[in-house]
This record gives sequence, C-alpha cells and structure tokens, in this order.
Amino acid sequence: MALDIYLPIAEVSVNGPLLVALGAGVGFISGLFGIGGGFLMTPILVFLGIPPAVAVASLASHVAASSTSSVISYTRARAVDFRMGGVLASGGVVGSIVGVEVFRWIRLIGQADLVVSLSYLIFLGVIGGLMLSESLTTIIRSRRGGSQPQNRDRRPPLLYGLPFKVKFPKSRMYISIIPPIALGVFVGMLSAIMGVGGGFILVPAMIYLLRMPANVVVGTSLFQIIITTTLTSVLQAGRNQTVDIVLATLLLIGGVIGAQLGAKASSRFRAEELRAILALIVLAVGLRMGLGLFLTPTEPFVLMTGSGG
Amino acid sequence: MMVQTAPVPPSVSAALTTTEVRVTSGFQGARIVLYGAVFDPSHQPSDIVVLVRGPEQPIRIAHKVRIAGLWINSRPVVFHGAPGFYKAASTRPLDQIAGFGVLRRLGAGIDHLAINAPAEQRVETRYGVKDVVVNRLGADYLDWRQAVVRLKAKMGLYEEDDHGVIFVDQNLFKADITLPTDAPIGRYQAQILLFQNGQLVSQRVRELDVKKVGLQRSLYLFAHFHPWTYGLVSVSIALAAGWAASAAFRRS
Repeated sequence: MALDIYLPIAEVSVNGPLLVALGAGVGFISGLFGIGGGFLMTPILVFLGIPPAVAVASLASHVAASSTSSVISYTRARAVDFRMGGVLASGGVVGSIVGVEVFRWIRLIGQADLVVSLSYLIFLGVIGGLMLSESLTTIIRSRRGGSQPQNRDRRPPLLYGLPFKVKFPKSRMYISIIPPIALGVFVGMLSAIMGVGGGFILVPAMIYLLRMPANVVVGTSLFQIIITTTLTSVLQAGRNQTVDIVLATLLLIGGVIGAQLGAKASSRFRAEELRAILALIVLAVGLRMGLGLFLTPTEPFVLMTGSGG
Repeated sequence: MMVQTAPVPPSVSAALTTTEVRVTSGFQGARIVLYGAVFDPSHQPSDIVVLVRGPEQPIRIAHKVRIAGLWINSRPVVFHGAPGFYKAASTRPLDQIAGFGVLRRLGAGIDHLAINAPAEQRVETRYGVKDVVVNRLGADYLDWRQAVVRLKAKMGLYEEDDHGVIFVDQNLFKADITLPTDAPIGRYQAQILLFQNGQLVSQRVRELDVKKVGLQRSLYLFAHFHPWTYGLVSVSIALAAGWAASAAFRRS
C-alpha cells in the first residue's frame, strides 16, 4: 500500500493518513484545553510500534507546532502573560536539561518502563482526580444556583511571603518569582522523563498554586510549552539523533489544523465543563498506562529496542 | 577401455535475484529469490541449507518480575553474537540433514546460533577443574536465550523453514527470502551449503546490501552528521507550520 510511509530515523513503516488524523485529533485537544497533548500522543505512538526514544523526541516538535498555532490565536485574544511564561520557561529549561540526564541514567539501568508507567499513573491519576472533583463541585454548585465562594483575594504566604517579587501586569499579580521558577523546573524534568509538554500539570498548577486568572492560564502555558519543547527538540536531535523529521511532519500537518479548530471550539464551552472533560481524559490515560504494572504480562521477557533502550 | 579420471568433487553454485534492497519511503519489506544448482556427476542424494544473516546487533533483554504487586523489569542482560536477521531454509529438517556437531559448528539453525551473554559469564576454577564457564543467570540461562529467539521470531526477524529450499528441477533449487519492514539496514550474507551423507561438501557465500536510498538516506545522513543543524531545521519547520496554520485560519 502506498499509504504506508517508512520513517528514516525510527526505521519502521507507518500508515501516513492515520498519523495525520492522530495529529489532528491530539492537536484539537491541545487547542481546546491549552495543553501540548504529549501525554496522549506518546503512549499512542509507542503502541503503534515506534521506538519510545524516537516517539518522545519527535513529539517535541509536533507539540511545539500545535502550541505555536494556538498561541497565536490566544495572543490575538490578549490571553498570554508573556512575562509569566518567560519566568516559567527559564525554570523549564533547567528542568529539561536535568531531566534528560536523569532519564539517560534510568534507561541505562533498564527501568525506563517502570519510571514512565509510574509517573503516568501517579501524576495523571492525581491531577485528573483533583481536577475532576474540583470541576464537578463547581458545576454542581452553579447548577444549584448557590453563590460561588470567593477565594480569589486570599494571599497565600507561599506566593507573597518569598523575596524577588515581580509585577505581572497581565495577570494582575505581584508575586515572588521563586514559585513559578520551581514549578517550571519540576514540569521541565517531568516532560523530559514522560515525553510530554507538561501542560496538564502547568494548567492546574497555575490556577490553584499561582492563583493566576483563568483567562490567561491556557495561553501562557502554551507559550512556555513552545519554549521548552523547541529546546528539547533541538537537544534530542543534537545529542541523541532521535528526532524523526518525517514522523514529526506527518503529525504536525494534522496537529496545527486541529489546534486551530480546538482553540475556536474552546470559546463555546464553559471553563469548568472543559476541565471536567480534560480530567476524564487525563485519568483514563493515567490508568491505562499504570494498568500494565499490575497485570500479569503474557510475555515475561522484553527486548529493549533502539540504541539506548 | 574406460579412462579412470579423478572424481570431480560435487559443488554448489547460487545467485540472488537482487543483491541490493533499496529502502525508500514506501518500503514494505522485500522478497528475494535465491536460485542455485548442484554439480555432481555421481548424482548422490543432496541436501541444501541456506543461511541468511543480517548485521550483528547486541540485544538487551529484561525479565519482568513481580515486586510488591508491581511487574517491573529485572536488570537487563546483553546478548552478543545475535544477527539482526536470521533465516535458515533447508530441503529437509536440519537434524535429518546433518549431525548436532556439524550444525553447531556452522551455526545452522536457530538453536545453534552462537548467541551468548559474555557479561554474565566468568571463568573460574571449580573442584580443582580449571576454566569452568559459570553463568550468573544459572539454570534460567536457557529461558533467556529462548526468549531472545522467540521475541525476534515474533517480529519476523528469525525464521527456520524446513522446506524453504525446493528443487525445481533435477539439480536446480530455489529459496525465497522475505525481509520484513523492520529488517535492519546493512550487509547481509547468504551461505549456501551442500550436504551429502551428513557432511558439508561444498559452500558458496552471496552478499546482499539493504540500504536507505534517496530522501530516506539524505535525511538519515543529515540527522547523524549534522545533528544540531537538523534539530534546528526540524523545529523551524514545526514553528513555521504552526504559524502558517494560524495565519491561514485567520483569513478564512
């Protein structure tokens, strides 16, 4: 079949239209929820038989593409806090460099499977669960017509007590830059290990920890994702030669279009409903990835493919 | 009166229909036919064994073990000497063609491949006997080795075909070699062995190149020889595509 395309770096043959459609689907989710979509795409690509190292590395540029596509729309809607995005990204850069080294070591001792599955299970499970319960509470409360408790004006000492305060006019905040940088480092490390942009952690963390206004969260998170994934992509290509340009291009053709449609569609939904749907997706992926740890494997041995495993 | 000439030793000759497999963007694997002939004036019953080996690759393999309710990988074991592709085709089951020792020496048949895990072995003196090879995997060693073969076979990379060589005419034989899409890139060797009465009497070696061509090759070389530039180019394409899509949607 002429629709199958041989990938020069991954050295496997894949169905072209299927990858474009996948890219579009994940791109749509990315634009809709303001996340990179890597947490969905990495498991799918690995399932399709693409070596994990290549999947993770090539995905970074796909995520950069769909994030760029939707960030431009959010910029037009003036929903990006570039200063906050820059602070987060500076932490993200440090985190991803450290994360790449940590992951290298984990692969060497052959525990990459375990660490990846466990991180998916723990982080996606916890975040999905928290988001789901929070958004359901909000939805139920607004259905009952009760008043929303105002906690916007609380000033947590974590944000306001620490030194190095900076003004973030876009977010109407004047907080220490230590928590956002720490968040950036943490997300950067996780993204290198899990092969994700980190949006699914950033978005809730920006809302609940940094108390940023909800309307700038999505655009800002996407902006920081562009910076870290661009760096990750170049680093992976330069150090590991694992970026498959054909794979990345196939994914991003669908991805950029899907992201545009997603960003448009997002205005039609209520924020808490969107969060509830995202929470369900996140939970499902986390449980699916974690399930493998508990089921008795049909094949007790695993080949560690690729140069590094 | 008949002239008694020295008996002509039997010999085998063979050729591949293709000696170069080109991996293009539409690569779906390849099917290569090997043709050969047996020259034997005495017309002894002959058996043919064809061994095709791909470039050697070390294999890392791990065993899943249950710890605290979780299935996790054990420490990976590295096996050496494993060809990236292996096919043994013969006119009859190998054990009917030749004895164990002969097959083992030639590496004919998956069971006789010289795959081992040198890092797990050490030589020591036991009960006063010198140079005893002790394997750290112990009795499980065979399970490990079988797992390597089983997993490779599942990917279509290892195959043994008892009737893969067919005599199409009295002395003319043929064998089909199928390379899957996952077949490694590199130089392959096809060994054509002629057996008579359980002994190897003649052999030929034919070579086969599996290589990337065209765009596939250019991209592969670009990625490996100018990795940083490659990274910058690929990410620029991504960012430009994102921008272009956004611009296109704005107009519409």
